[in-house]
Amino acid sequence: MRRYRININQISYASVAKLSAALDAGSITALELTKALFERAKSLNDTCKAYIEMFETSALNKAKKLDKIARIGSLHGIPFGLKDLIDVKGRRTTAGSEVLKNNMAKDDAHVVETLENAGANLLGKLNLHEFAYGATGENKLYGTPINVFDHSRLAGGSSSGSAAAVAWGLLPFALGTDTGGSVRVPASLNGLVGLKPTYGKISMRGIIPYCWTLDHVGIIARTVEDAALILDVVGQPDRKKSSPINRHKIKFSEKLNSGNHLSGIRIGIPKGFFFENVDDEILKATHKVIKYLETKGGCLCDVTLPNMDHTRTVSLTIQMPEALSFHMPWLKDRSAAYSSDFLAGLALGQNILAEHYVKCKRMLTNYRDSVDQLFEDVDVIITPSTPIISPKLNCVNITTKGLTEPVGNAVTRFTSFFNMTGHPAITIPSGLHSKGLPMGVQLIGPQFGELSLLTLGKLIEENHDFNIQKPSI
Amino acid sequence: MKVPKRQEIYKPLKATKFEIIQGIREIFASHDFSDEDLLELVDPKLGVITSFNDLMSQLENLRKIDLGQTPPALGIEEISD
Repeated sequence: MRRYRININQISYASVAKLSAALDAGSITALELTKALFERAKSLNDTCKAYIEMFETSALNKAKKLDKIARIGSLHGIPFGLKDLIDVKGRRTTAGSEVLKNNMAKDDAHVVETLENAGANLLGKLNLHEFAYGATGENKLYGTPINVFDHSRLAGGSSSGSAAAVAWGLLPFALGTDTGGSVRVPASLNGLVGLKPTYGKISMRGIIPYCWTLDHVGIIARTVEDAALILDVVGQPDRKKSSPINRHKIKFSEKLNSGNHLSGIRIGIPKGFFFENVDDEILKATHKVIKYLETKGGCLCDVTLPNMDHTRTVSLTIQMPEALSFHMPWLKDRSAAYSSDFLAGLALGQNILAEHYVKCKRMLTNYRDSVDQLFEDVDVIITPSTPIISPKLNCVNITTKGLTEPVGNAVTRFTSFFNMTGHPAITIPSGLHSKGLPMGVQLIGPQFGELSLLTLGKLIEENHDFNIQKPSI
Repeated sequence: MKVPKRQEIYKPLKATKFEIIQGIREIFASHDFSDEDLLELVDPKLGVITSFNDLMSQLENLRKIDLGQTPPALGIEEISD
């Protein structure tokens, strides 16, 4: 078999599909790949703070075993990482918090079972905003993951380590969770693809919850094709749940259409809120993507989303009582171990009336119904992924076109609504800002309409105008 | 759904005093949050949460929206082939 010398830079930024082809061809082995990525991680993790814990011994042993058997699928021998909210049997799940620093998981999460069965190789647990509370990814205990494009800026969160690991070339893909944008936001700020599937499409079994109503598992990858390959695996129905939501067995990667014509696909553009108080260059990049899609045969239509005035309030009013309910057993003995920002959020949860909570859950029904109805007229909705580029470290408030808001609110301004409606959404790079930082567009589809998002996303990705060159480290 | 006019939406309530939040803690609370935690609700400094006062004002305005028979959101069911 012909063997090639491994080029570490090629491996570090290769897609899952390319690594899989290389493994198929025998030009690399799972062991060589795993060793190379650990070497890189060990040299860069002090700077980027992506990993909380690396599983070097077990991953190298597994790679050896995987090399000895025939490949069983595209993810066979492919390294990956997990946001440290996701349980792996016999490993710690810290949630990025002092509170759970010795919390050993008794079982694998559903996503871990499916990835293990597909032959993927877990390299370690990744950093996050404590308990996924916050979109900045700041973490006093494990350090704050930083942006590979500008080390004075945030990787974003809450799946900060997941995005940083992929962006810094430590892993080809990682899983995170997304309650208000926690996968899409860091993916966008780091020039990556971030997919939040339909609510419940990927089972949350074995994952520490933040807010049951809004939590989704999400995928951070380098390409849309990779996101499809991973969704094929982790999106399988969870037979251990009494009523698995996801009954379809679509192979997204097989159905992904690489055709270059959209043949009349209806693209909804929500004027107003999603295009207001946005950085000029992000706005321009979004319009460029829209225009490109039109030239490819997309049919543009204005759409009106529900009134957004209350959405932040509705989301917060659901989040904090649910989080408080989950954390109550630990608060009595371990409250000193929580960070002050999360404790304040939990304290807020204690002051919200049950009436408020129920009202907000009813608002969700309204939001969901309104957006479902929109999808009778359009096939996909497009917005910028974030209104701003990655914020500076330690930034508290940010002003964009006269609107001053907390950083966490700013970066999730366009993502959190679709956690409330449960619709699938994906972020795709839309180019590089003049400040050298990535920008992204968000595509939103009908419930369980991931295939149209992936298809359209791939088309955008195939236009090199929107591609982002990785910075040299 | 009856949506109130925009000018009605952000009508602020009277400022919530720290002592009021302390009082709520003492009477109803299931956990004894510290004064420092509660102070962040009245005068946020960490850039993560909305102040309690803002939130209460906004929730008060949400009350004005008549949702009729709309039930709370439940899960999303995929239709089988």
